[in-house]
Amino acid sequence: MNRTIDYGSAVISAVAIAAIAIFLLEAFGLRQSLLFLLGAGLGIALFHAAFGFTGGWRVFIRERNSEAVRAHILLLLFCTFLFFPLLGGVIPGLHPGAALAPVGYSVLVGAFLFGIGMQLGGGCGSGTLYTMGQGQVDMLITLIFFIVGATVGSIHLNWWLDLGGIGPVSIIKSAGWQLALILQLAVLVFLYFLVRWLDRRRNRPAISQHMAVQPAFLSRLIQGPWPYSWGVVALTLFALLTLLLAGHPWSITFAFGLWGAKIWSALGGDISTWTYWNSGYPGQAVQSSVLADITSVMDFGLILGAMLAAALAGKYAPAMTLTARRVLAAVIGGLLLGYGARLAFGCNIGALLAGISTGSLHGWLWMIAAFIGNIVGVQARVTLGMDKPWRMQHEAAY
Amino acid sequence: MKRRTSQMIIGSAMSVAAIAVAIDHTRHSVPEPVARVQNDSNMATSTDSDSPCGLGASPCGLGGESPCGLGADVSPCSL
Repeated sequence: MNRTIDYGSAVISAVAIAAIAIFLLEAFGLRQSLLFLLGAGLGIALFHAAFGFTGGWRVFIRERNSEAVRAHILLLLFCTFLFFPLLGGVIPGLHPGAALAPVGYSVLVGAFLFGIGMQLGGGCGSGTLYTMGQGQVDMLITLIFFIVGATVGSIHLNWWLDLGGIGPVSIIKSAGWQLALILQLAVLVFLYFLVRWLDRRRNRPAISQHMAVQPAFLSRLIQGPWPYSWGVVALTLFALLTLLLAGHPWSITFAFGLWGAKIWSALGGDISTWTYWNSGYPGQAVQSSVLADITSVMDFGLILGAMLAAALAGKYAPAMTLTARRVLAAVIGGLLLGYGARLAFGCNIGALLAGISTGSLHGWLWMIAAFIGNIVGVQARVTLGMDKPWRMQHEAAY
Repeated sequence: MKRRTSQMIIGSAMSVAAIAVAIDHTRHSVPEPVARVQNDSNMATSTDSDSPCGLGASPCGLGGESPCGLGADVSPCSL
């Protein structure tokens, strides 16, 4: 394996991380600085473990390769195991908040659109950030239109919410944390073995190509690639620390809408008529420094952490072919991702991981709707010529 | 697209973003670090047991000033 560290990019990203952490410490205090560093850690873990939801769901849909999907389920399982008791108040004085959001048409439609956007844009919330941090230019395009979509979505959100729903549902509050924990763990274990069975039914033995070559431990830790198991452990740990430090679960896409609203305002646009940005925390956030917003700060850390990890792996800013078709897909995908995330109260992190692992029913609705959206998105990639038809590919393998 | 071109595009984008963040930051007053810790109500706890973001006595915000609250019905905690 030939892996040369990109020292220039590694030094730039490491210095940037250190400088921003010190600045945040001085300007906002220890917590903001630590949350930024947690974001950087998340970026490193996501990149080194190649912990993408988009690619993992695509290979499962196309080939029934369940390796990544099982890793996602394990992440949900571990976070559920740790978060439910905390939310149930087992530690006196510690009362983190859940990622509760209303269950309704807004989440249903938003998650479905987000699912299509994942496949066209080439990333989800976390995936877009860490691959952009890696220096992939196409993902920069996706991110720009992700921000545009999230901003437009925030303008339309109230209209979608008026379509109705049953409001926020906490299964922890409804069933008690102990029973809710048992039930949710049972469902997740069932899902784990279901996707594994579907995989083995079609692929014998189960495909495991994520870590074909295993370098020495230290080299692997610093330069990657990590096996999924390391990614699951690291992401669980960082998600737990985020919950404890921030007081709420890890989130990503709230910041995109915030950045869009701020940019629009800075360009002379009027956001006073945008209801969402004129009340509650969003209103407060838009009137404050972007560095005061935890989600933004963690997103910045994630991008720089991924840049550092990519530089250490010698994979920063890879050469690539950027076709007009790829640009079009990134634009459409980015818009769908942003608009969908805003309507669905989050992405694969804020709604799927944070929602489910803190007992919000909307997380489960998000998972189902987004998976259906992914199936449509996978087919759309074929239609756009980005992928070969998978049935033909499957038949050709025999 | 060559690697050098990718680096220049991403580097330029990050530089523009850094400048934008700096401009945004200077446009807003920064709270004192100590006062902020005490008033971290934008992410802190409250005792409102009916908060959509909280369970029992553990919502993650204070009514309209909470990241969890859009009015009283939805929860940007999940964003």
